[in-house]
Amino acid sequence: MIETQPVKPQFVHPIEEEFARILDYYGIRWEYEPKTFPLEWDENGEVAVAFSPDFYLPDEDRYVELTTVRPKLVTIKNRKIRRMNELYPEVNITLLKRSDLRDMMIKYGMDEHAADIMGTEAQ
Amino acid sequence: MSHFYPPEAYGELNEGISQVLFSEEEIQARVLELGQAISRDYEGCRPVLVGVLKGVFPFMSDLLRAITIPVEVDFMAIASYSAEARDKGYVRLQKDLDESIAGRHLLFVEDVVDTGLTLNYLLGNLRAREPASLKVCALFNKNRRRLISVPLQYKGFDLPDKFVVGYGLDYRELYRNLPFVGLLKPAVFAPNRL
Repeated sequence: MIETQPVKPQFVHPIEEEFARILDYYGIRWEYEPKTFPLEWDENGEVAVAFSPDFYLPDEDRYVELTTVRPKLVTIKNRKIRRMNELYPEVNITLLKRSDLRDMMIKYGMDEHAADIMGTEAQ
Repeated sequence: MSHFYPPEAYGELNEGISQVLFSEEEIQARVLELGQAISRDYEGCRPVLVGVLKGVFPFMSDLLRAITIPVEVDFMAIASYSAEARDKGYVRLQKDLDESIAGRHLLFVEDVVDTGLTLNYLLGNLRAREPASLKVCALFNKNRRRLISVPLQYKGFDLPDKFVVGYGLDYRELYRNLPFVGLLKPAVFAPNRL
């Protein structure tokens, strides 16, 4: 039998890669963007808006979305997650905001990642 | 009656705090309530309280003295995620329990539960040693960031999604000695301080 190494996903943002490493470290199984949820359809019934949460934790049946955008710009993502909750109430999803990720990176001593997403005077 | 100094007595440390979230009096009152509940629930069980260093030590110390039944205490230490630990691949225990816990009633004492990643790992490790029971007592809970579901049988306070320090919670190993819990000023962890 030939064993193959799982293909490393192409992460969109460096913090996603770091987050995947953290999950690996604590022995948590994860999948990267495994599913896309349609959120809005046009008049022809085609999907107009969709949402692909960044991670899925199969043992928890939980999706995780990371966002590093500033609080003022997080509205679009919040709207998508609200729509997700309306259309797919059975789906568990956790949004880790910029400040959550900043605190996580500070806690783990990942200064370069923390500095990348700092830049705010508000807690 | 307070056993410690007022916040302003902590000078430089207190200057880094923008707001006291839980005063020493509030924390001590809640710890006393938790100790009473644990004493009642574990009567006749001689439980073992287990904590993971370092953040838990002020809470463990106060909780232990608020419990009025016979009780044992033990500690663990693990290598938290870091650049160095990451290279080794997975969590490693830096200090294991001194005694066997097989068949014992275990109460895991935690200062703060955030994502649940560390707690989930440690509970799995402890369950494998076949204690008679295993429950969790956490003083602080950040529920919104939870990634892994972990039941908390005893809980002190819910924390907001902010960077908090004091009563064992640190920023770069400082602030643990504050007897209260407060918000850390953003200027303390601003980019030019990193």
